[in-house]
Amino acid sequence: MSVSGLHLTAIGHGTLLLEPSFSLDIGSGGTALEEIIRRLQRVSATRLYYDLAELAIIEPLYYNWLNALGRACRTVNVRMICIHMQPTAAFALSRYMEQMPAFETALDVDEWNRETR
Amino acid sequence: MVKKHSKFSSRLIDLLKTQIGNITGAIEREGRTLFGGSNNLMSADEISDFSIEFFQLLLALLESKDPLDDASPQFHALEMFFNNLSHQILVRGGRVEDLVRFNQFMQRAMIDALESDQQEDSGQKTTAQDFDELKTILLFLSSTFNELNLAVFQAYLEEKESTIHAQEAELRETATPITEIWDGVLTLPIIGTLDSSRTMLIMEALLNRIAQDRATAVVMDLTGVKNIDSQVSHHLIQMMRAVQLMGAEAILTGIRPEIARALTSLNIDLGNVTTRASLSDGLKEAFRRMGIQVSHKAV
Repeated sequence: MSVSGLHLTAIGHGTLLLEPSFSLDIGSGGTALEEIIRRLQRVSATRLYYDLAELAIIEPLYYNWLNALGRACRTVNVRMICIHMQPTAAFALSRYMEQMPAFETALDVDEWNRETR
Repeated sequence: MVKKHSKFSSRLIDLLKTQIGNITGAIEREGRTLFGGSNNLMSADEISDFSIEFFQLLLALLESKDPLDDASPQFHALEMFFNNLSHQILVRGGRVEDLVRFNQFMQRAMIDALESDQQEDSGQKTTAQDFDELKTILLFLSSTFNELNLAVFQAYLEEKESTIHAQEAELRETATPITEIWDGVLTLPIIGTLDSSRTMLIMEALLNRIAQDRATAVVMDLTGVKNIDSQVSHHLIQMMRAVQLMGAEAILTGIRPEIARALTSLNIDLGNVTTRASLSDGLKEAFRRMGIQVSHKAV
């Protein structure tokens, strides 16, 4: 099944990179979420990098989507790491965030690998 | 009433036109004394230009429908001319007192010209009508130059305000020095009072620096923060969260006992935040996380 705007690329053993485009429908009743989890399980992934480079602002709806995906990843034993968060997005998000999110964050893939080495 | 105005204004127009050389000459001389020469605030050409421009604007005002109307476009043009002239002189280091003196001198130059014109007609007997006309001219000059003095003071206040704003911006910049103390490690000593607007500025600068320098750790030192309230602590937590969202480690250092007590009484939980006693401990923690070991050289 193909979901519009969902670009998942394997970038190493058990690691996938998700680069969402603007056409990704995050309000599609969990279809996109299910598809991502299915693809992660198909390759026995343990890590998912979510690239936020294209998002200048993360509004509550998108934040809820990221949290839901983060929690879903946890249930299938996958660590979700958001990378390339823009200063404007972090600024806006920190203003309405109540708790720490259900995902991890890193500057980029290399930085996260270096930190966890 | 308008008829009376037009009579007094036509007399002033005649006076200005016949004595243009004397009046502009006197204004230029005074302008050179106050703003030219060693004062170096205006060149001789600039002084000559503004004397002529002032003259033209005053004539335009006198030729307008009602010269006493301070809402007319002609009056506004004269006011703006003085405002701009004042800005120009104040920016170059001139004094507001000199501008006011210059204004008073121009008014006196007009009255002197009027007096010499009156002396020429001294053979004729002064009638009550002449007296009334003179009174109207003097009132016109007095009210016009008072308004122009206000324009000078307005320019002075605007200049002062812009200086204060510039100094505030500079102070903000120097009060939040974000330094890359090691590759990927930023330090931010916060000194003084944290309010909402300052926190937003710090946060914006800090997040941009994290992205620009690809920083992996930020050590925020609160040694210079004397007191904290619930709003400020909320801002601090917000700042730490934003740093973490960018993917960097946030380390809070230099929390004084009174700040720790205040945070506890405000029910602020710093459970998700790494804290260390001093800036030095914070740096050691950042280095440790980055796998960097700093040690004394073996002798």
